[in-house]
Amino acid sequence: MVPMERGHLHPITQTIREIYAVFYELGFEVALGPELEYEYYNFDALNIPADHPSRDMQDTFWIKEGLKDAQGGVKNVSGTDFPGRNLGRRLLTTQTSAVQIRFMESHKPPFRVFVPGKVFRNEATDATHEAQFYQVEGLLVDRNVSLAQLIGTLEHALKKLFGEKSEMRFRPSYFPFVEPAIEGDLKWKDKWLEIVGAGLVHPHVLRAGGLDPKEWQGFAFAFGIDRLVMLKHAIPDIRLLYNGDLRFIDQF
Amino acid sequence: MKISHNWLQTYFDEKIPAPLKLAELITFHSFEIEGVEKVGNDSVIDVKVLPDRAHNCLCHKGIADEIAVMTKQALKSRAAKAVETDRETKPDIKIEDKVFCARYMGRCVEIDPIKASPPWLKNFLTALGQRSIAPMVDAANLVMFDIGQPMHVFDADKVKGAITVRAAKQGEKITLLDGQEISLTPDDFLIADDEGPLGVAGVKGGKRAEVTPSTKRLIIESAHFNPIAVRRTATRLDIRSEASKRFENEITPELAPLAMNNVSALIKEICPEARFGPIIDVYLVKAVQTVIDFDPAYADQRLGMKVPRDEAKDILTRLGIAILEKDDRWSLTIPFERLDLRIPEDIVEEIGRIYGYDHIKGVLPEKIADPLVLAMFYLMEHIRSILISAGFSEVSLYTLVPKGEIEIAKPLARDKAFARKNLTDGLLVCLEKNVQNADLLGLEEIKIFEIGHIFSREGESVMLGLGAAQVKKAKGVSSEKVISATVSLLGNELRTPISKHKITADGLHTVTELNLDEIVKEFKPGVSYGDFNFEPASNNRYAKISPFPFITRDIAILVPEATEVRVVWESVLKGIKKAGALELLVRHSFFDMFKKGNETSYAFRLVFQSMDRTLTDVEANKIMERINEEIEMEKWQVR
Repeated sequence: MVPMERGHLHPITQTIREIYAVFYELGFEVALGPELEYEYYNFDALNIPADHPSRDMQDTFWIKEGLKDAQGGVKNVSGTDFPGRNLGRRLLTTQTSAVQIRFMESHKPPFRVFVPGKVFRNEATDATHEAQFYQVEGLLVDRNVSLAQLIGTLEHALKKLFGEKSEMRFRPSYFPFVEPAIEGDLKWKDKWLEIVGAGLVHPHVLRAGGLDPKEWQGFAFAFGIDRLVMLKHAIPDIRLLYNGDLRFIDQF
Repeated sequence: MKISHNWLQTYFDEKIPAPLKLAELITFHSFEIEGVEKVGNDSVIDVKVLPDRAHNCLCHKGIADEIAVMTKQALKSRAAKAVETDRETKPDIKIEDKVFCARYMGRCVEIDPIKASPPWLKNFLTALGQRSIAPMVDAANLVMFDIGQPMHVFDADKVKGAITVRAAKQGEKITLLDGQEISLTPDDFLIADDEGPLGVAGVKGGKRAEVTPSTKRLIIESAHFNPIAVRRTATRLDIRSEASKRFENEITPELAPLAMNNVSALIKEICPEARFGPIIDVYLVKAVQTVIDFDPAYADQRLGMKVPRDEAKDILTRLGIAILEKDDRWSLTIPFERLDLRIPEDIVEEIGRIYGYDHIKGVLPEKIADPLVLAMFYLMEHIRSILISAGFSEVSLYTLVPKGEIEIAKPLARDKAFARKNLTDGLLVCLEKNVQNADLLGLEEIKIFEIGHIFSREGESVMLGLGAAQVKKAKGVSSEKVISATVSLLGNELRTPISKHKITADGLHTVTELNLDEIVKEFKPGVSYGDFNFEPASNNRYAKISPFPFITRDIAILVPEATEVRVVWESVLKGIKKAGALELLVRHSFFDMFKKGNETSYAFRLVFQSMDRTLTDVEANKIMERINEEIEMEKWQVR
């Protein structure tokens, strides 16, 4: 008989594996989080308070009221239950950063965490925007953490992924959960493409995670995976990633 | 925020960098640039001001301040010469809630009606993508775009009694400037007079006291409103005005006098006959300047580079921050408008971005112990590897679906109103779609899987969904068997019993779901991910999928026993070439062979498809005729 033909991994999985291989070498362990998240973890604890314009930076899928968790508790990644604190409304997680707080609450620093996950934005879809997409998040917490370490880590990762010659540049930006905040661009066919958002963990966020900012510092970053996958394979339409068509998936 | 290059220049005596150069400077030290556009003899730079800097940078002055810091060019003062007060009329101002309104400045002005704004003012507004409304309104808007303070002008003859800032009553109604009538709640705040609402404070003016071309007397408002309250009202009413956008980001109340001064001067310029009453300033809650105790060594530690002390000091000074040095520590007094600067980390960012992040030399954090293994991640990756070897391909389907238990409050579309409650429904549809393309894929069975989250009232679970479909019925094989064999395979490979799993089958398709949250409880992961031999990721470029239907033709050819299949295939190919259809042959397979006497029969499947049109049967038949001709020339026989 003909030997069994191997199947194909989704290109998003392939890229996440490829990125994790780099961060594994740097000592990052994997953490996973829920997709149905609480307002507290997704926003408040990340220094994005209610009634603040920074909430507009991410269009959110809120869950219809009346379905609040009866216990007011939430099952954590590691299975711990947090007692009845007000976690707010439920939503589809808009950023893997939500896992930062969950991890800090249940682990002692120093640590390095890598969080792959599906996230959601309430935005009209077109060839470059989907209501769901993948991110990978990195979080490092230690005693002395600097922007130079963050930049060094990102440059290292991008070189591993896109070749030793790849060029990166960093610009100031704003994400409420980091301070300072930066964005990293990758030079791709003579054009600079925004590829990673990052920064030093904001003291409010460390505090929300139960850590003393006088003792602990951190950096965090997040890549949008879909964008990387599209670049790498010259995929013109993001929707090809989610229609389950093997004519597409079996190409990779 | 659209910024006019010409207008920015008015802040400086020295020539500022050209638009593109300026855009680059802003990109590396302050904000992302969304575009630079030529408008007449001006250039408009679209600056993406994010919420942290919206306190003071949604205007030309804020951007000019940034440029002055970056280029070290000297700024000119923006305070226009104060107009003379030559009338005694003054507005009566009452603030009922000082938490909502910390400051309200008002001034009465008499004007000669003028028809249109001067061309320079119109041009300025046009360049920013705004339209000219009426001269006095344009003047107020110019000041907002210039220094960031939203302003309002009322027709004083239509205002009855005192200007009052108060909460709305339940159901109180107002007709807005655009003619829309809205109903308010006690959470909304109004500017009102004795007769009722004049405007929704900080959001939108009302029709009743609108300034028209015949307006002779004005009341100018320059005020500070509470950001949260304005945001709530603007959100509830779904009205995002230039004013509400600025108020909701919080502006210092210290800006109000400059705005009142500048708008007065501008009105005087447009209408030299204007006569001004005194400025009434009700300032109930004084702004307090932030003072940050800062250790300059902290900036070096956090940035991971040494910024020369003098340089750091110079940067902060140029940012308008007053420095008081004491025992190696700096006491920093922050300008009123920089409401974003509160903690030492904010100062680290200011020093870093102005000095330039390109000065930072990246270093890798010191290596630590090998990372721990997360059982769930190990399990998922292990399952993926097992299934790929077993011929399954991985799909990633949509979480938002038409039916489920967890409902989205404001869905994008009705068919995306719920979070999926299983993987099965999606996989069934997916199987069927792929069965349609089986010939194109060269598959006799479709085998797919998805690892994903599902949602019910009880909560969220991580599931593995497996799906199989037979393309054609064949003896001894069925999709049920494929699935049950695969579940056994997983159980063996994972060394974990898999007991519960519901199977959905409809003859051709079979799908099952395994709960990974359950399986992971029994599963023993390896000690490191090093156990996996991940294959290198694919580097393939995506090849476009034709949107047109394909046509499949099978051909069986009887040849003398010793003839090799390769030789037979070459003849088939020759026929296709002669038909000029080589590029239409998207897939072919050799799928059957048997011996009959001293002859052998070879069967091939040919799949034709065009990238740019629907192939017809007639076309396919012509290709097959050419192939037949080749076969006949070889004296073989098509069966």
